[in-house]
Amino acid sequence: MKRLALTLLLASSLTAVPLMAADDKNASDPTAVYRTQWHKDILAGYQSLATQSQALETQAQTYCQSPSSEELEQTKRLWLDAFLAWQQVRFIDFGPVEENNRAWQFQFWPDPKNLVARKASYLLKNEAPITPEKIAQSGVAVQGFPMVEYLLYDQTFNSSENALPAGRSCELLAAVTRHIARNGETLATDWKGFQGNYLGSEQYTDTTIRAAMAGLEILEERRLATPMGLRGNGKRSVYSADAWRSGASLIAADASVQGLKKHFMPAFSKLLNDREQTDLAKRIEQQFEEVLANFPELDRPMAPLLSDDNAFKPLQSLYIDLTQLTALVNDRAAVELEVVRGFNSSDGD
Amino acid sequence: MPELTRRSLIKATLAGSAALTFSGCGMLPRKAGSNSPQQYTGAIGLADGRFAVGAIAPSGQMLWQAPVNTRCHSGCNRPGTAEVLFFERRPGWAFYVLNSKTGEQRHRIEAVKGEHFVGHGVFSPDGRYLYAPVNRYEPGEGIIAVYDSHQNYRRVDTFELNGIGPHQITMHPDGQTLVVGLGGILTHPDYDRIKLNLPTMKPALVMMDRVSGDILARFRPSHHQLSTRHVDVAPNGTVYSAYQYQGPDHELPPLVARYRNGHYEEIDFGESVHRELGNYISSIIAHPENELVAIASPIGGTALIFNGRTGEVIEKSAIADCAGVEALAGGDFLVSSGRGKLVRIGKGKPGVEIANMLVQWDHHLV
Repeated sequence: MKRLALTLLLASSLTAVPLMAADDKNASDPTAVYRTQWHKDILAGYQSLATQSQALETQAQTYCQSPSSEELEQTKRLWLDAFLAWQQVRFIDFGPVEENNRAWQFQFWPDPKNLVARKASYLLKNEAPITPEKIAQSGVAVQGFPMVEYLLYDQTFNSSENALPAGRSCELLAAVTRHIARNGETLATDWKGFQGNYLGSEQYTDTTIRAAMAGLEILEERRLATPMGLRGNGKRSVYSADAWRSGASLIAADASVQGLKKHFMPAFSKLLNDREQTDLAKRIEQQFEEVLANFPELDRPMAPLLSDDNAFKPLQSLYIDLTQLTALVNDRAAVELEVVRGFNSSDGD
Repeated sequence: MPELTRRSLIKATLAGSAALTFSGCGMLPRKAGSNSPQQYTGAIGLADGRFAVGAIAPSGQMLWQAPVNTRCHSGCNRPGTAEVLFFERRPGWAFYVLNSKTGEQRHRIEAVKGEHFVGHGVFSPDGRYLYAPVNRYEPGEGIIAVYDSHQNYRRVDTFELNGIGPHQITMHPDGQTLVVGLGGILTHPDYDRIKLNLPTMKPALVMMDRVSGDILARFRPSHHQLSTRHVDVAPNGTVYSAYQYQGPDHELPPLVARYRNGHYEEIDFGESVHRELGNYISSIIAHPENELVAIASPIGGTALIFNGRTGEVIEKSAIADCAGVEALAGGDFLVSSGRGKLVRIGKGKPGVEIANMLVQWDHHLV
């Protein structure tokens, strides 16, 4: 181990990272400098999620106190803002967001059995008051953005007698947005408190890179390829996408890519450059731009794009750009950095 | 996630590797224990994204690949017969009964309504009764389901575990006691693989009488989030269990426990070894010919051998995505990986790659 540490130290001294010369503690952990940057960048993302979730909660109360179509529209806008703030940090699958299944609380998905609708219907039929405790006990299908999306956007629900601003539906809206806001606030606070462990444990460098890899793969495979009919039974279906009720599947994909660019890439580019992978770092940065160039043109509902072959083409372009980005990060960079995400290591059994 | 690994496999093809390459010796060593067939069977992921169960002979040839509907996890050989069983990966809706010489499917037995398998099972020593851990998912109860192979795998009994999330099961050398890893984690098939009870887990190593279903002993790990998943028993009756820690990555608790002479104790390999194990053990095998025990961690990309009596780490090898372990005749172990590698590791013998195949070996070899 001593010898390995020495080699790493020599290697890093060639790349002349100024922080490391200044800090003895970091000398034995040359990747601490990247985690310092990641911690800061991810905190910014979590704080934005906390702020937007708080704004959504306040707006939901305003709307339910004096319902109007303008206030409803404003609630939808703020739901989207908060949901997109979540999309930006959705790739982080370790640390405080793992506790109590918080990631699942923010967004229960995929939902092939339509549990969100079933749970909503159950809660609305029930006589018991919808308290914060009730929401806390009701499971992840109730606790996050998809439930609020259901109340705001679901067509069947909106043509029923329970449609907002019906009293009990408003109670549910208020309680769920409150739950999201509390989770957002706790997550940002806990991430701050996690700093010592995150900076102090070298394995979190690989963990963070793996999180980005998984985020890209989920985006490519489950959020795009599956609804586009490129997997499984080969049928295009918007119901396999996330956020289909609000038509926000693609704008959410846009936000997730932007989130990786903002909260992951700065430290990752630096790491690649320090490992003399300058060309690869540049190619990845360029590929992020290629993917993002599909937007805002594609920031629109996915359903019409799936039902028309001509309209489908820009979606295919996005998909191809994204597969190239995933290949660069998950294959090229991962191999160079020896970060493994395997058949068994991601299984959990 | 199939796509990533498929891509790596395709890349391996492009890099020019043959479908099956052997480095070092061209023969796989014999499997330890005279009762089991001289072949290794495992669940595999194929390059095109489909799944199979495959067996390789000591010559290194793939004997057969049997197609299966979905990803499988582990299985068991049926003593005294040419049958090998494999279970679908959790939530497993069925198990397959295959001819172990040809791979031909004899039965596909579906789980009872409201239940799913968890990837493991074991036979009574006479090869008649199959004991399969099952999640009865509406009430969230772990049970051992008993099937009679003499009646075409009819379900004949159910034993309550009084706990949640059973995983691996094995037979004690006394032929009477079932040894069960009770993971303690509540899941429900409607909720993907979400862990629904992390704050209140009650994992345990459970000993059960295979005839009466009585629970003979229950040992709890030192922390309630040390999910007891995998188990094995040495011929002298020493029981080993391996954990998967559900707490934060930066905490490094013990991951292996041993029960012998009435004492249940955890084995501490020290912080640096624990770090290399990534808080996750996918297999534990006690060698039937010596005191050695091998474990593999795909998350840590580490396989190691320790002395079962002293707990001392004897040998350690970095093997990316390694998960399956088998004991070899002569005292060594065979480790398989999700990257198609078979690696031999033994006392004084750090890992030697003996085969590299274009398949992804899943968690276990039998």
